[in-house]
Amino acid sequence: MSMARFSPFELVLLNSRSQVDTATLLLLAWVLVHRQHVSEGQRRRRLAQVTAQFRHGHELSPVMSIAYSQDLQAIQLAAEILRKECSQERSLSVLHQAITVATDDGDLSLANHYILRFLADLLNVTPTTLSTLFYELTGRPLASPEDPSRDAYWQQHNPGYFSQKAREAAAEQQARDEAAQQAHQKNQQREQKKQRKQQEKQRQQEEAQARQERERQQRDEQNRERAQQDRSRYERAQGERRQWQRTSPPPDRSTRALAVLGLPPGASRSDIRLAYRRMAQLHHPDRFFTESEHQVALASARFQRIKNAYDYLMQTY
Amino acid sequence: MRDLYQRLSLSPEASEHDIQNAVLRCPNSALRQDAESVLTVNEHRAAYDTLHHTLNDIGCLRARLGLTHGAHWQGDVANDFSLPPDHAISRHDELVDRVSSAVSLYNRWQRWRGPWLLVAMFATGAGIGIVMGFALCMGLAAG
Repeated sequence: MSMARFSPFELVLLNSRSQVDTATLLLLAWVLVHRQHVSEGQRRRRLAQVTAQFRHGHELSPVMSIAYSQDLQAIQLAAEILRKECSQERSLSVLHQAITVATDDGDLSLANHYILRFLADLLNVTPTTLSTLFYELTGRPLASPEDPSRDAYWQQHNPGYFSQKAREAAAEQQARDEAAQQAHQKNQQREQKKQRKQQEKQRQQEEAQARQERERQQRDEQNRERAQQDRSRYERAQGERRQWQRTSPPPDRSTRALAVLGLPPGASRSDIRLAYRRMAQLHHPDRFFTESEHQVALASARFQRIKNAYDYLMQTY
Repeated sequence: MRDLYQRLSLSPEASEHDIQNAVLRCPNSALRQDAESVLTVNEHRAAYDTLHHTLNDIGCLRARLGLTHGAHWQGDVANDFSLPPDHAISRHDELVDRVSSAVSLYNRWQRWRGPWLLVAMFATGAGIGIVMGFALCMGLAAG
């Protein structure tokens, strides 16, 4: 047992001679409230006109004010009563009234799109029946509602805003371009100045370097003479073996490379190329693609070794 | 019609600043463009909010009436505005309950009206007598 007071719509219902009629009245008023570009007086007159043969027997104004306040509980109560006590014919006539109320002058507002579909679901009316009924009443097919949550809807319905935005963006872009150009010019001037400064500096540096170079050359010559004297003395003391080690590159690397290609030391350039071709054909990894992956890996390692040797020989020979 | 607030994880009362931030942080470029042209422009947002409110109402009604899987409730709208059933009691049953309790209260009052009236008259008389006696005592003490 709830101790809350009776809500206005419940009082209206208790006063009504026909609860179904009162519930229908509220739902039609709800549809009317969501019609756009209509004054309140027009709404009330339209509602009275449509519900002329209803048997509710009370004033319309309380129902209208409840519909204006969008009282969800009242609407739920009306929907429950309508679902409970509506026959098939009655539900079609209710839907008929709702469609006429929603589209007197043509346009169905977005909210009414969804409200009509809600009523159709409530009254167990299939989509095909609803669209036929709508087509018969308005002469137009029931389109799916437009989507104001998308950019395209507003591009179509408020093109002024977007054109203005585009203009602003263009102006901003122009301003930015001009600023960039100015900055570019300034940069160029600065760079020219810098270049001039750099050239001067370079010239000074070059002069200094030339001077240093001359000094260093003199010093080097002195050093070399001294070192040669030292080394000749040292070599004479140490023998020839140490001197041979110091000279690079070690000659055995090319013999090893030749061995990789299966050639004796001292082979000619054309011999090397020929041997490389033969070895490459023999060890190319593509020959082993039918074998296991391991074989392919081994072959590619061998091929790599051969190729490295060939490259080295081509560079040094 | 999609619920942009839900998709940007905002509340419908979010301030412009919050909306700007959420739009900038949105990783989906298409959604970002839509949200930018709908929510960051005041008149667009007002129109969108009206419809958003109505659709929230319809979603709530459908959840309470068991119509969340109706033939006319499909696509983006059904995805974004369907609410879970909130186990609210049927309004019509509640109305019937309330009327029956009011009727039983009325009947009880009608049945016990005589004895209750007697008791009430006796209580009022006693109260008046006590108040008068108290006033007399105060007057004597003052005099």
